[in-house]
Amino acid sequence: MSLLDTDRTTVRIASREAETAIGDVLRDADSEVHAVGSTGVPAVEPLVLLTEDGRTAFFAACSVGRAEALLTGLEDGFDSVVDGADAVVEHDPNAARLPATDLPELSAGQRTVLGPCGWLRPTDPDDYEAAVGFGGSDPETIRELGAEILGRGWGDWCQDRTLADSWETAREADGDPTVVVNAHGTGADTLLSSSAPFAVLDGAAAVARATDAERIVVYISQDDDHAVDQVETAVWGYPDPPVSMSVVTGPAVYRAAEPTMAIEAIEGNHRLEARLRPPGPDETGIHDRPTVVHTARTVAHLAAALDTGSPADSRLVTVTGDVAAPATVELPERARLAAALDAVDGAEEYKAACVGGRFGGLTDSLDVRAGPESLLDAGLGTEGVVELLGEDRCVVKFVGERAQFAADTNCGRCVPCREGTTQLAELLRDLYDGRYRRDGIEELIGVMERSSICTFGVDAGRPTRTAMTEFESEFHAHADGRCPAGSCPRKAEVSTT
Amino acid sequence: MSSEPFDSDDAPPLTETIAPGTASDPPLGAEDAVTVTVDGTEVTVGSGATLLDAVEAVDTDDSVPALCQYDRQDIGPRSECRTCMVETDEHGVVPACSFPAEEGLDVETAAADAAEARDVNLDLVLSDHNLRCTTCGKNGRCDLQDAAIEQEVEEPRYGVLGDREEYEPIDDSSSFIQIDRNKCILCNRCVEACNDVQVEGVLRMEGSGQDTRIGFQNGAETMEDSTCVSCGHCATVCPTGALVEKGIEDATTIPLPGFTQKNSVGKVIDGTDDSKEPMTPKKRDLPVDTAPEEDKEVRDWP
Repeated sequence: MSLLDTDRTTVRIASREAETAIGDVLRDADSEVHAVGSTGVPAVEPLVLLTEDGRTAFFAACSVGRAEALLTGLEDGFDSVVDGADAVVEHDPNAARLPATDLPELSAGQRTVLGPCGWLRPTDPDDYEAAVGFGGSDPETIRELGAEILGRGWGDWCQDRTLADSWETAREADGDPTVVVNAHGTGADTLLSSSAPFAVLDGAAAVARATDAERIVVYISQDDDHAVDQVETAVWGYPDPPVSMSVVTGPAVYRAAEPTMAIEAIEGNHRLEARLRPPGPDETGIHDRPTVVHTARTVAHLAAALDTGSPADSRLVTVTGDVAAPATVELPERARLAAALDAVDGAEEYKAACVGGRFGGLTDSLDVRAGPESLLDAGLGTEGVVELLGEDRCVVKFVGERAQFAADTNCGRCVPCREGTTQLAELLRDLYDGRYRRDGIEELIGVMERSSICTFGVDAGRPTRTAMTEFESEFHAHADGRCPAGSCPRKAEVSTT
Repeated sequence: MSSEPFDSDDAPPLTETIAPGTASDPPLGAEDAVTVTVDGTEVTVGSGATLLDAVEAVDTDDSVPALCQYDRQDIGPRSECRTCMVETDEHGVVPACSFPAEEGLDVETAAADAAEARDVNLDLVLSDHNLRCTTCGKNGRCDLQDAAIEQEVEEPRYGVLGDREEYEPIDDSSSFIQIDRNKCILCNRCVEACNDVQVEGVLRMEGSGQDTRIGFQNGAETMEDSTCVSCGHCATVCPTGALVEKGIEDATTIPLPGFTQKNSVGKVIDGTDDSKEPMTPKKRDLPVDTAPEEDKEVRDWP
């Protein structure tokens, strides 16, 4: 039976872990106790949600001691414990989503796509059916929505482009299409796979209907054990799956999220490198068959859009870096990125942010709207990740490390990426020898951007390029032998080999 | 890839067990004959054509090295060196060697963004190549040397691989083919010749980033311990002095006293002189090494 239909007092424990110490305590309560997965905001977890008659009391970061007190209090009924709650909200008795609260960490943004996270039992099909409903929309409706939704993240073949054209390509190509849900690597995709796997599968099933696909493959990093378990359980529990569904893991390396490397991994290649394009995977993908590749975020957006009738004007944003714990929230596209900082502890002071994932753009201001157009206009990335650099961080060191990361972890296939990232790191090392050649760095990054095979090389120079604009004084300072943050070694200490 | 297992002991390797370590690229090229314009000249190319076919058919404004391109015997395009970038009206700057020719496309070779990309990428190739041409057996018949001369490279932006401490040893262990990876540009021609043409399954691409190299599918460290049958196709297709037939590895070196092809690198892996009977190990006795790669340690900054 669905969690939404019960008349009894319901205790939800929102946490990444299904088994929690407070769960052991609360199990003795005279109420239904359910693990509902993470909300995306670890700062408030484990979060106990006590619901009765359209009222929910929030107990954030609940300790064992607090859970024991709650257990005792509950013997006298719901009303005797609400006074001790961090927040109490009234809502529709059958609320399909985690109700909005004024708890600071949970107040950022909205919960449309994130609706199931922290509210539904992740792998219970009855909960999803009651709250959202496994979609039976006709292909034409799905395609119309697909013409309005942009792909999310670099793991999506349609990043920042509408989905419908790619679906049409796949439909027209020879062979039955495959739908790949790329949930490799990015925090929001891992969250959705873990806390809302049915939303991911439901969205993928809609793509399958829209493209006449014959199977769905969910692709996840082999290190994300929890997400793998949750999606596998959801696959087994999916009611009357319209097409075959399976989970395939790929190596836990950053580049494995690139769409064509995801396909290489799914095909079982032991070594991952990018495929040439065009044509893209939607024409020739897994074993030469048309393959649409979308991130978990993209298909969850589609599932939510099919539920509500129109695409949510929102973006999932993960705040990470110099914070107590990373958090994922859902911001309206018109909201400023700074609004996402409410969800994390330790973000009061920051010097810079890398916006747009590993190879995002650097900025000293998050006063920029979350929508992709605003981000691209500002030279930032649309990956949906805001990585904060605390006040004591050195920007030159940060971008140098990113360039070195790119040099060490690229697939090795094309010259502008393989050799370009290496030379970029060397040009940045030259700063410690007193040489700052901005023109040369910009020339190199420009060539990497327009001649690399895949997004890895296209984006790898972005941290450096944007930092040279936003924080140029730091580059000059390093060339003068001085690190303003005091974290880089002086020239004499740097080996020049 | 539907062959049945062979029973006889001296069977060639099954194609299923060939693991070249490279991606399965989509079919590249035009579906039908199309007409494109290159530097103002209209040219019609046949089905399967890439933009490079059109570029090579006309007298272009700028030279397009397309260094890694081979385009014979099912080899390439690998499109790794990106010295074939050209500007198009529809798609911006694209790699000519692997971009399908498209009806009506207008191509410019001399556009600044494309020309700069070709120049920078050629310099990037040189940055990882030990430019010891005077002691190289391919001196005077080297595609990279030709391209550098053609492009009038005088001082490569990023230097050349000159630090002898970074050199990989010359693999001189085979009686027939020598490998000097310091001269390899990772064009993958040898891997394709070995796997797709000769169907021997010996060579592969391995590693990532700066560790990307030509290795052996059985995991051997040396040519001698690989399953090589010494057909020589890899040396035939090699654009540089990375794979050279033994006996001519110093055929075109300049006779400088005391400076030879081997000591130009300084480290050499010699053969063991063990007699081999049969000449190569039976392939089925050697497992194909396909251990997936682990995440690498990133070098400390700075």
